[in-house]
Amino acid sequence: MPNATFHSVATSVAGWSRRMFLTASATSLAVPLFARTSRAEAMDPQTARAKDPRDPANLALTVNGRKHQLALDARTTLLDALRERLGLTGAKKGCDHGQCGACTVLIDGRRVLSCLTLALVAEGRAVTTIEGLAKPDGTLHPMQQAFIDQDAFQCGYCTPGQILSAVSCVEEGHAANDAEIREYMSGNLCRCAAYPNIVAAIKQTKHSMREG
Amino acid sequence: MAADAAPEPKANMGQPVPRLDARLKVTGEARYAADFPVGNPAYAFLVTSAIAKGRIIRLDTESARAVPGVLDILTQDNTAELKEVKFGSGGASTSIQKLGPEIAHDGQIIAMVVADTFEAAREAAYKVKATYAEDKPSATFGDEGLKEEDATKVSERHKHVPKVGDADAALASADVLVDAEYGTPTQHHNPIELFATTCVWNGGQLTIYEPTQFVYGLKNSLAKKMDVAPENVRAISPYVGGAFGSKGQFTPRTGLVALAAKKLNRPVKLVVTRDQGFTTATYRAETRHHIRLGARRDGKITGYSHEGWEITSRPDAYVVAGVEDSARIYGFGAVQTKVNAVHADRNTPGFMRSPPVVPYIYALESAMDELAARLAIDPVELRRINDTMHDPITGKPYSSRSLMRCYDEAAKAFDWSRRNPEPRSMRDGDWFIGLGCATAVYPTHVGPAAARVRMLANGEVQVQIAAHEIGNGAYTVIGQMAAERLGVPLSSVKVELGDSSLPPAPVAGGSNTTASACSAVLKACDAIRVRLARSVATTDRGRAAGFAADNGQEMRADLFRRLGVGAIEEYAEFIPRGGKPDAVKQLYAGQVAMTGGPNGEKLMYAFGAEFVEVRINALTREIRVPRIVGAFAAGRLMNTRTARSQYMGGMIWGISSALHEATEIDKARARYVNDNLADYLVPVNADIDRVEVILVPEEDHEVNPAGVKGIGELANVGTAAAVANAVYHAIGIRIRELPIRIEKLLDA
Amino acid sequence: MRPFTYERVDSATAAIAAFGAGAVGAASERQYLAGGTTLIDLMKLDVMRPQTVIDINALDRTALGRVETNDQGLRLGALAHMSEVADHPVIKRDYPMIAQSLELAASPQIRNMATLGGNVLQRTRCPYFRDVSYAECNKRIPGSGCAALDGFNRSHAVLGVSDACIATYPGDFGQALIALDAMVELRGRNGDRKLPFGALHRPPGGNPEIETALLPGEIITGFAIAAAPWLRRSLYLKIRDRQSYEFALASAAIALDMGKNQIVQEVRIALGGVASVPWRARSAERALQGRRLNEQTARAAADTAFADANPHEHNLFKVGLGKRTLVRALLQAATMEL
Repeated sequence: MPNATFHSVATSVAGWSRRMFLTASATSLAVPLFARTSRAEAMDPQTARAKDPRDPANLALTVNGRKHQLALDARTTLLDALRERLGLTGAKKGCDHGQCGACTVLIDGRRVLSCLTLALVAEGRAVTTIEGLAKPDGTLHPMQQAFIDQDAFQCGYCTPGQILSAVSCVEEGHAANDAEIREYMSGNLCRCAAYPNIVAAIKQTKHSMREG
Repeated sequence: MAADAAPEPKANMGQPVPRLDARLKVTGEARYAADFPVGNPAYAFLVTSAIAKGRIIRLDTESARAVPGVLDILTQDNTAELKEVKFGSGGASTSIQKLGPEIAHDGQIIAMVVADTFEAAREAAYKVKATYAEDKPSATFGDEGLKEEDATKVSERHKHVPKVGDADAALASADVLVDAEYGTPTQHHNPIELFATTCVWNGGQLTIYEPTQFVYGLKNSLAKKMDVAPENVRAISPYVGGAFGSKGQFTPRTGLVALAAKKLNRPVKLVVTRDQGFTTATYRAETRHHIRLGARRDGKITGYSHEGWEITSRPDAYVVAGVEDSARIYGFGAVQTKVNAVHADRNTPGFMRSPPVVPYIYALESAMDELAARLAIDPVELRRINDTMHDPITGKPYSSRSLMRCYDEAAKAFDWSRRNPEPRSMRDGDWFIGLGCATAVYPTHVGPAAARVRMLANGEVQVQIAAHEIGNGAYTVIGQMAAERLGVPLSSVKVELGDSSLPPAPVAGGSNTTASACSAVLKACDAIRVRLARSVATTDRGRAAGFAADNGQEMRADLFRRLGVGAIEEYAEFIPRGGKPDAVKQLYAGQVAMTGGPNGEKLMYAFGAEFVEVRINALTREIRVPRIVGAFAAGRLMNTRTARSQYMGGMIWGISSALHEATEIDKARARYVNDNLADYLVPVNADIDRVEVILVPEEDHEVNPAGVKGIGELANVGTAAAVANAVYHAIGIRIRELPIRIEKLLDA
Repeated sequence: MRPFTYERVDSATAAIAAFGAGAVGAASERQYLAGGTTLIDLMKLDVMRPQTVIDINALDRTALGRVETNDQGLRLGALAHMSEVADHPVIKRDYPMIAQSLELAASPQIRNMATLGGNVLQRTRCPYFRDVSYAECNKRIPGSGCAALDGFNRSHAVLGVSDACIATYPGDFGQALIALDAMVELRGRNGDRKLPFGALHRPPGGNPEIETALLPGEIITGFAIAAAPWLRRSLYLKIRDRQSYEFALASAAIALDMGKNQIVQEVRIALGGVASVPWRARSAERALQGRRLNEQTARAAADTAFADANPHEHNLFKVGLGKRTLVRALLQAATMEL
């Protein structure tokens, strides 16, 4: 299926993305890196002022196999770090409180909610987002293709979370039958209500995923 | 492989091609409003009122301003330059636009914090402290202090009161009478995408990224709000993460973001929290209904009386007035209707998926089932006896109507004949089984639209129209229309939507997008065909005009050669029959006038029939829906895949409306209590089992040039009644107030 | 969310040391962070405002993350994740109530994140507790009142409530632990100690802000459940509006040792969704002891269990629903095929 959609804003988007990545890298280069964050010192020796717990903490996040050095407010969630700092906007904010599943990502291969995960907690672990699911040559993961084949979305907003959750559902061995798939996909709300098509997409994929 | 997802097209149905935007959506590359990167954004966080009625006496922002990273805090004291935008269609969602000192509803915006980081903005927002002088609010029906008005006197949305004959007399002399009251709860759209707004100023030019069902409305309203010329504002919204009516109007947050960005000379990004979305946008208001339905012993209805009451805010008389539709759908005999606006201390309600018909048809279709039971006539047969091809009010004919064909096809697929009509007669182990049905109906709307189409000699086609992709498949069906008219494969067509720099399309409301946008695209494509045809001698024109049908690349290349151009571009404006001559000009200014439904020379409606099986545990009384079947006829279907998905989602919405959704109000405080997705229940995957959609062929050349009726708001209508009717059949209790929950069934 | 200092530790000892060395202020200003599904949620809502957050996730690689089963019973490390325990084949087979109580809770993603220790300490879902814009909440602000009493209280508790608080304990796993007389293992500055699980949570009384018997800095290291003849015939029944991903309106945990002719040798009953704390229904157990289990005796036991119920405007139905849930669970347990 060729990509038949375009927007006049597309080129400027790419430009912005590049700039943002440069900003992120520059920030991380300017600040000394710690292997692991430690408790705040009473005084910051570099600035000779009382250290504020809001001061950026340094961390390395490994996302889709790529390591990023970041300096972040400790309160930053993994979701906000991905979206606002790394330009990976596939994970979506739908509730910010663990009630909808739109922010689902994989950490060390397990599906979790990035909105309730501090970025600092994800340090040293492998984070996979929807952007990391297809092969580098653009070949879709079978689950992505199945979502297209089965029309398993409408507005598409919950879709990245649904797909990552669906991949986990199969890998966990929780896709034995329709009832089990439905139960184990119940952490991802779809307000357009594509649920039966999502179940169909998982059924389409589960064998090919096992073979592959 | 995907047979269910891609139904074989029947007569007058387009191919089930996969969505044009599918790849972007499964890879996370589709950009929703909050996904657009902007350089060095500041982050905003709203502060909302903790009371529903009263005044702010003091707003303490000192400790909030002291939070490192805070750049600005907008309050009533520094936002006076924002202009009022008029409430109503194509305008503001509410008249309550000021940040104080008067508080008119729970969760009214009273301040907005802007900071370098989201974390700092949120911390500071919680440190803004308001002191109030609180008055006792009126929350909803049954409370003191409400103000009730005849809606025709105050609402721009209810001007025609359906009435014919002497309904009181007909009801008094009816053999059988149903006289019942029904109620529906407050509901919130809760699209999974939050209400996000990002504003970027570049000199005097303002770009806004906001999920919207109407980029031209957003552009023009924001221009008014900021007192700038509309040409200086560009609204961008290529993908909307669910809307359902919630993103069609201009809400108070938007001007604040634009103002903050202007003051700071820096992009500002706001993502409204889920709970704040309950009070800073709109909702479906709670309604009450009094219905009287009288019939002869043989089932012929002789009189229908329907009075509705709808909650609204203090200043705005928003009503949906679904009697304007419900009064048409059967041969009622005498009809009388009335709608009342009931003002409370609440935010202003607004459009939510099928606004007029959802509550009113729920009430009517419940009463129809009660009438069938009273008459001991099968509910399907009762509809057949009262089926009509004419408006019972005016006598106007329907342009097309396939209601009974829908009933017959769905009843057969559902195996309705196995139903024992006796309530509480069907059981499977510990579960009562109930079967119910109801009618789905939605008025066909069409609005003005403009489109630009460019065709290159090599067959590549670009389509530009500011229609909206809200999950409706707009990219796909618009692309299909162009491909079909210009005789090129769909893969050669590129579609641009959701940007106010493109030619305008109406608000994606009233399910008009396919009808309006495709009609405009069709017109532009036909203009290209005419230009190509003119390039050859008169005698060849007939054949040349048919190049699309021939799908002949050589002929196309030849025609372009004769014209001596590399591309042909046509801009077309479409004004529906009955539309005003300046309708497109108005559309550019953000105003839409729709036609259709009951208002033209003919009645234009889509119909469907839905059958539901419910199971109720005999002990604990939880209700589950293992199966639902719906058959729908809505003129031409552009794409059976996207159509089926929309119907399926609609039916699930209907189940949700029947069993789950209700915004709970703390009556003493007039505040929404379950303002989150853990407590505002919508179905999860495990709630939905078998959903079957039957696409019933229907041809209607009168509704619009594209021949399509809207489908996005059809399948969720009537479902709640079908569920309620099935619950009655399962357990013998008639629940007349939604949602139907365990506690209402425990005492039987 | 208020600013906090973040620390990561890799042992229980280090965690306790870090807690003790916490910057300033009261113990409530220091919090251990595991799955974060309660803490981060409530910090975003400004309900919880720790100044120090001690990340103990690395402890899942120690004994605290392990699940051990043998003839004597079961030991569950506090840092084990809900999903691992729910999927554990031995627990599914021999302790079905435990597996079910975990599997029916939350969502797959949350069960992957949340740990057992955090699960039992999850805070109430009372909307007036979770929203700081309400001035009245004795749990958040001692002495401020309780908005739920005259507010919308459909989800609230009918058992173990007080005039100060009617918030529901939202968990499921806790019902299994209290039904099975689990011991909770704790480590603190003064060494290790054990508590019966039933002594961990405190009903609200006049001090709803005090929810547990934990000492400042004390950490839950695990749970021990002794082998018993009623474990195989056990189950967790959860009733809710929707099929999944919702807290219980009412639930029942049943473990049953049934002799010939349906005679109850031993039964363990706990109730969820209806009480302020994990709720053991001992009077119902006594009512069934030595009796034949049938619908009639089950109903009588259920009436006993709710004899002291104290409902409010919108949760009156929970008395009836709670009883029906218990009856259904008992009858279901009686007919389980072993």
